[in-house]
Amino acid sequence: MNLKACYRPLTLKEALDYLEEYKDKSKIIAGGTDLIIKLRKGNINPQVLIDISFINELKGVLEVGEYMEIGCGTTFYDLASCILLNERLKGLKDAARSVGSPQIRNRGTIGGNICNASPAADSVVPLLALDSILTLESKKGKRKIYLKDFFKDKGKTDIRDDEILTTIKFKTPTKNQGLGFYKLGLRKSLAISRISFSVFLEIDDINRIEIIRVASGSVGKFPMREYKIENYLTGRILDEDTLNTALEILEKDIYERLNGRNTARFKSIAAKGVFKKALLKALCLAKGGGKIED
Amino acid sequence: MKIELNVNGKDYSIEIEEHLRLIDLLRDKLNLTGTKEGCGEGECGACTVIMDGRIVNSCLVMAFQAHKSKIITIEGVEDEDIKNAFIEEGAVQCGFCTPGMILAAKSLLDKNENPSEQDIREAISGNLCRCTGYNKIVSAIKKAAEIKRGGRNV
Ligand SMILES: Cc1cc2nc3c(=O)[nH]c(=O)nc-3n(C[C@H](O)[C@H](O)[C@H](O)COP(=O)(O)OP(=O)(O)OC[C@H]3O[C@@H](n4cnc5c(N)ncnc54)[C@H](O)[C@@H]3O)c2cc1C
Ligand code: FES
Ligand code: FES
Repeated sequence: MNLKACYRPLTLKEALDYLEEYKDKSKIIAGGTDLIIKLRKGNINPQVLIDISFINELKGVLEVGEYMEIGCGTTFYDLASCILLNERLKGLKDAARSVGSPQIRNRGTIGGNICNASPAADSVVPLLALDSILTLESKKGKRKIYLKDFFKDKGKTDIRDDEILTTIKFKTPTKNQGLGFYKLGLRKSLAISRISFSVFLEIDDINRIEIIRVASGSVGKFPMREYKIENYLTGRILDEDTLNTALEILEKDIYERLNGRNTARFKSIAAKGVFKKALLKALCLAKGGGKIED
Repeated sequence: MKIELNVNGKDYSIEIEEHLRLIDLLRDKLNLTGTKEGCGEGECGACTVIMDGRIVNSCLVMAFQAHKSKIITIEGVEDEDIKNAFIEEGAVQCGFCTPGMILAAKSLLDKNENPSEQDIREAISGNLCRCTGYNKIVSAIKKAAEIKRGGRNV
């Protein structure tokens, strides 16, 4: 390690000043649960660390009009126990609860989860299904970008080295809408079995799908939207035949995406079951109740 | 750089190197060697301490991030109920995981003196034990909870 200085700004403005000054010589640290491992392995070698975990304005959940806005410094623990997030958003809380261990959930932040851009980033999957918008800030100003456009490659995002991801926002689900999340396998299990899906669903009284957004984790280079299956399902009545066709489309799509890798077969089949669970959870919530066992 | 923190009720103001982690600070600077380092990657929980009321892996916190925080390590756990229950239930074998387990148990029982078995398993899910198979640890935490609720012989 080649660290020369570490800063603990108390305001966003101060943090942006440091970032402007040190740019690519520096790294932001939030909970540190990804970054410290990379530092110690020598995967990254910054001279300066800018700790944003002391900045209160970056933490917590706010209701702003029809949107929910989550500060990048909100931990998984905070998210899982947030009373502002209603039952229709259960999928987001389930994802936060499914992360690592209590120790990791107490430190790990949503901003770190997004910026680390791991294919298995759990909170990203429901946030994609919610069609979230990120705010990135630098000394030069603010810009907004859809989360679905943020990832460029495994571990690579659209963020510049003078920018901080400050908030993540999405529309609060209302009547007939629900967000489901399901992750395969238990914690501490092998990386291969960390497939996760999240489904945002709006459905009418005769089970016609008005809106569906599907997102996956660990079946691509980064968490992503599954547009093919979304396109197929939108406007259709959700019955067994429709679901079966959708599952076939999904399996084929994922198999082709992972083609050549030895996990392609396993993952494309497993993904069907995981998607189906997430869909049923979303359906239950959209219909306003009921509980689905894991 | 200089940081101030409170460890086990005692205030410290110490000079640290930038690259130090909280676990290095505790073990090497403050000589609190009850906190163990296993994996160094957040997987095993042997390095668990309580930071501002919540358990964290001290191998995944930089020392400078602990500025102004309140840390409790195994040396600072005065709760004899938990320690006795661990001994009585045979929940300690090699003992390497024990400090972390006790802090995870303390953090649970501080919030909930009537945890279900599922609550207990969840609370220690970030702590690995190679020896006991966990059941004795779960029994020990159940017993400690019972003692806290008052009935010594339940
Ligand atoms: C044992 C273990 C188990 C884990 N299990 C899971 C799991 O089940 N699911 C899961 O999704 N993840 C898991 N993780 C990964 C990790 O905990 C999460 O990705 C976490 O959200 C990272 O957040 P952090 O605040 O700790 O990020 P940090 O480590 O502080 O930062 C991560 C990266 O993001 C950058 N960054 C952080 N915040 C910002 C910001 N606001 N703006 C710009 N850049 C920023 C940092 O510079 C760094 O490059 C696990 C990690 C460990 C060690
Ligand atoms: S040493 Fe910190 S979790 Fe294993
Ligand atoms: S008693 Fe040996 S690791 Fe738990």
